[in-house]
Amino acid sequence: MNEREKNASIDRILARGLVKPSSAGKRISVMLRELGLRFIFWDTGYSLFFAGLTLACVFALFMLAPESYRASASVAVSPLLILLAVLFAGTSERLGGLYEIKQTCRYTIGQIAVLRMICYSVLGAAFTAAVAFAGADGELGFAALFPLCLSALLICAILSLSVLQRAGSRWGYAAFSAVWLFASVALPFGLGDKWEHLLRGMPLAFSIGFAAAGAALFVWQISKMLREVNPHVIA
Amino acid sequence: MLSLNRVTKQYGSFTALEQIDLEFSRGVYALLAPNGAGKTTLIKMLSTLIFPTKGEILWNGDDIIGLDAAYRDMIGYLPQDFGYYRNHTPREFLRYMAAVKCLKRDRGARRADELIDLVGLSDVRNKKMRKFSGGMIQRVGIAQAMLNDPQILILDEPTAGLDPKERVRFRNLISSLSKDRIVILSTHIVSDIETIASSVILLKDRRLLTQDSPAAICGTLDGNVYETDDIEAIKAPHLVLTERQENGRTVTRFASERDCASAARVVNPNLEDVFLYVYRDEER
Repeated sequence: MNEREKNASIDRILARGLVKPSSAGKRISVMLRELGLRFIFWDTGYSLFFAGLTLACVFALFMLAPESYRASASVAVSPLLILLAVLFAGTSERLGGLYEIKQTCRYTIGQIAVLRMICYSVLGAAFTAAVAFAGADGELGFAALFPLCLSALLICAILSLSVLQRAGSRWGYAAFSAVWLFASVALPFGLGDKWEHLLRGMPLAFSIGFAAAGAALFVWQISKMLREVNPHVIA
Repeated sequence: MLSLNRVTKQYGSFTALEQIDLEFSRGVYALLAPNGAGKTTLIKMLSTLIFPTKGEILWNGDDIIGLDAAYRDMIGYLPQDFGYYRNHTPREFLRYMAAVKCLKRDRGARRADELIDLVGLSDVRNKKMRKFSGGMIQRVGIAQAMLNDPQILILDEPTAGLDPKERVRFRNLISSLSKDRIVILSTHIVSDIETIASSVILLKDRRLLTQDSPAAICGTLDGNVYETDDIEAIKAPHLVLTERQENGRTVTRFASERDCASAARVVNPNLEDVFLYVYRDEER
C-alpha cells in the first residue's frame, strides 16, 4: 500500500467514524417513507386472511371455554395473532419465488419483517385487550387479566423476533410455532387447576411489572434488529 | 472493483468453496463449472444471500457486509428459479419491484417502461405473464434486475431451459448491458459464454482452477485436440470429447497429450473441449 492509498484509507475510516448511527425510530420512519405501508404488506394478503380466519375460529372456541379456566385460555389465546400472522405471511413469502430477489433489495425481508412485527404487535395488543375483556369474570377482572395476557403476547413477540433473526432454515419459525402451541396447550392440560390458580393468584404489581419488562425488551430487540447488520443465511 | 480475498464457504463440515481469490472490473464474467461445483454458492455470496465463512468480499476496498444496503443498492440479481406473479403484467410486476427496490414512484414507472422496451417486451407490456414463454419470463427477470441501474449484475444460470433462439437473444441482451457494468453469470452451457464473456472462471474441486479470456483458456489445449473417423486406430491415451455423423462416418473429436497428428487431424480447441477435458473426472 503506497502513501496515497494509505491516506485515502485513513480518510475513509475517519469519515465513517464521524457518521452518527441513525436511531431505530428514524430508521423506521425512513423505511416507512421509502417503502410505504402498502409494500410492507404486499404479497401477504392471502396469508393474513387465513391467519385472521384461523384466529376468528380460535376466538370462537375461546368463548366456549369453561369459566373456571378462563385465565389459562386467555393467556394461551392472546399471542396467537402474532404467531399466526408471522407464521402464515412469513412462510408463504419464504416459499415464494421472489424471496431471494427481495433479499438482495435495499431492505431485506428480515428488516421488513421487523416493521411488520411492530404492526402485528399493535394489533396483537388490541386483540389481547378483546380477549381479556371477554375472558374477565367477577373474580378475575379485566385489569388483572390484561397484563397477564399482554405478558404472554410480548414473550411470544420477543421470541418470534429472536427466531426470525437466527433461523437459517425456512421452517425455523414453523418449528418455533409448533413448540409454542404445544407449550400453550400442555401447560393448562398438564398442570390443570394449578396453572389456573397460579395465573389467578398472580399479584397485580408482578404481572404489570412483567408486562412492562417485556415491553422494554421488545422495544430493545426491535431497535437492535433495525440497527445491526446481520449476516443472514437463507441457503 | 469487486474482489474476493481468500473466500471460503462451509456448511457445517462440508466445504462448498475454498480459498477463492477473484477480481471483477467492467465486462462479462462467466462462472463455468459442472452442476454442484459451487457456482450458485459463489453467486449467492456475491449477492449477499449468504456470507463467507472465511475471507472477505470487497467493493472498492470496503467489505460488502459493512456496506449493507449501500451494496445491495448497487446489485441486480436474477436467481436460477425466478418467481413471478403469473397474474401480473410485466409493467405491474416491474413497478412493484421498483417499489421494493425503493425507487421513487415516478422514477420506478419510467424505468419499468424503459426496460420493457429494452428487453423487447413492448408489445406485451400490459399482458398477463401467465402465457409468457420461458425466454420472455427471463427477459422480465433481467428487467427487474436492471431496475436500479446496478453496477453489478448477477445472473444465476440465466439461459437454463431456454430454446436456442431465446438463448441467442438473451446473450445479445447481456452483451449490450455489460458495457458499463460488471456482469457475472453462472452457467454450465458452454455456448452461452464463448461469444459474450470477457473472462471465464473455472471452478474445480471447490477451488478456483483458472480465470482467463475464452481464447486463452482454449489455448491451453492448443495442439492437443484432434478429429478422426477411425478412433480405433488411435493407440495413444486419449479422451473422447464428441462424436458426429458426417457422410455416413462417425467423426470423433478427442484430446490427447501425445502427438497423434499422424493418425488424426489437429483442430482448434473450443471452450466445450476444454470443459470436457478439465471436468473429465466429474460425475455428470
